[in-house]
Amino acid sequence: MSDAIQVKQLRKEFKSASSRSGLKGAFRDLLTRNYKIVPAVNDINFTVKKGEMVAYIGENGAGKSTTIKMLTGILEPTAGEITVNGMNPHREREKFTQTIGVVFGQRSQLWWDIAVQESFRLLKKVYKVTDEQYNDHMEHVIKTLDIGPLLDKPVRKLSLGQRMRCELAAALIHNPPLLFLDEPTIGLDVLVKLKIREFLKEINEKYNTTILLTTHDLGDIEALCERVIMLDEGKIIYDGELQSLKDNWAEEKQIHFQFIEQVALHEVQSLPLPFDVNWVCDEKSQTYIALLKEESDHISQLVSAVVAHFKIKDIKIHETSIEEIVRNIYEEGTV
Amino acid sequence: MFYVSMFFQYVSQYMKTRLQYRADFFMEILSDLLNQVVNLVFILVVFGHTQFLSGWSREEIIFIYGFFLIPFALFSAFFNIWDFNDRYIVKGEMDRILTRPIHSLFQVILERIELESLFGVVTGLIIIFYSGASLNLELTWYDPILFILFAIGGALAYAAIFVVIASIGFWSDAKTSIMPMMYNIGNYGRYPVDIYNKVIRFVLTWVLPFAFVGVYPASYFLRKEEWYAYAFATPVIGVVFFMISVVIWNQGVKRYRGAGN
Repeated sequence: MSDAIQVKQLRKEFKSASSRSGLKGAFRDLLTRNYKIVPAVNDINFTVKKGEMVAYIGENGAGKSTTIKMLTGILEPTAGEITVNGMNPHREREKFTQTIGVVFGQRSQLWWDIAVQESFRLLKKVYKVTDEQYNDHMEHVIKTLDIGPLLDKPVRKLSLGQRMRCELAAALIHNPPLLFLDEPTIGLDVLVKLKIREFLKEINEKYNTTILLTTHDLGDIEALCERVIMLDEGKIIYDGELQSLKDNWAEEKQIHFQFIEQVALHEVQSLPLPFDVNWVCDEKSQTYIALLKEESDHISQLVSAVVAHFKIKDIKIHETSIEEIVRNIYEEGTV
Repeated sequence: MFYVSMFFQYVSQYMKTRLQYRADFFMEILSDLLNQVVNLVFILVVFGHTQFLSGWSREEIIFIYGFFLIPFALFSAFFNIWDFNDRYIVKGEMDRILTRPIHSLFQVILERIELESLFGVVTGLIIIFYSGASLNLELTWYDPILFILFAIGGALAYAAIFVVIASIGFWSDAKTSIMPMMYNIGNYGRYPVDIYNKVIRFVLTWVLPFAFVGVYPASYFLRKEEWYAYAFATPVIGVVFFMISVVIWNQGVKRYRGAGN
């Protein structure tokens, strides 16, 4: 078995009651409900190889969490087949959960009132980890994530970043070959994000751990994942390399300029440049935004031309975010 | 074996949590003890005015009441799941439970244990010994064993009903007021069932077996031979109903929809 995850024609439908309008409608609802069947995940197929790091992305409500919950055995699929680590997650749940680690960014795995190390101790028993295994593995994890000084503090006294690092360590107590991370860096500051990314890369290299993560942070994906699966309205709209996704869809770069002196829009527009630049002016902050294709040395040509003609207060190069890429794809239809 | 050791792991975790808040801990013990004393006084005052109730004497009724408190205390200590729907389904805590390699119901129960409720056992024993002494009940050597079996059976029957009600949350996420209603109905098991009409008696025996928590097992110790069959059925009823409830729970887990983020 070289595939960690195999998903075939996976589908999950939710039944949701739709209420009729008005008082009369409310009475009718009391007797017979109108149910609408909404597919949250719509016949998707994909496989993830062992040792791969895959980003699972999409807008809110695209079906990311629902898929993750089916893959981790929390939800039962309406139809389709899932094989994760050679098992059916929902049917063999108790045996299966022994082989995965799960971090939900917005939900804690740790016990709120007791010291972190007590939570670890209990989880160690839950996953039947022996002392040798624990010491061998966790000593390293604790050192890399730098959570040694936090171990004797109760979880409720930790900051979000500290807690998140402990959550990650807790998910790795049984050293699972497969790790699911749902928004692992949400709300964290840059330093903690970097530390977490570095750590994930390290365990992937060391133990060949397969990692599937959902995120809204393009930085996470760039640092970790070569492969991206993009979901929209329950369907996979892209499955492939991150780079080609960006090449095709994030073609425009935005460069923001702020000038010391008043500059009119036609002045920047009349700059002598051998290619097309789309200028947009934000009156309020006196910022001019140049939109241009990301090709060879266009950016440096533009910047040098602007610098030669005007006095610059501030300059920013804006990278397209995942949301913008998704929006681009969405506006133009299929990939 | 794994489950037994996990049970003690969780209990020790629970104790640690409790000891974290020292002042709170002592206050709670004090208020629990006070609660039990109030309970005791209440029973003695209320039953001080009744003499006979369709063939049961005052002491016998007090005895049944005292017996009821023991399985009820076991139930409250280990099956504190009345807020399961809010806590685990609406807030999505069930997600976390389902990603761990232990049976989900067992985890929920262990996370919610409340050992303070075991003080009820003490109150119950005091009442039983008090009323038993005035009834001149005789004990055989195997009575304590039967007593433990009946108490556990009763607690299981009680727990089964509440597990089934908690499982409803898997099918409907609407708030229900069944839980408090059940606590009320549960109180009917504290009184001799022959004071009720046939329908209620049937319900309390075969549908919501609350009678097996109080009056049926207690009647064995009161040597009421006409109820012996029911009394000895207590552990069986407890185990059977509890097994049914676990099956329903497992079905419910398949229906679990999770909470959105």
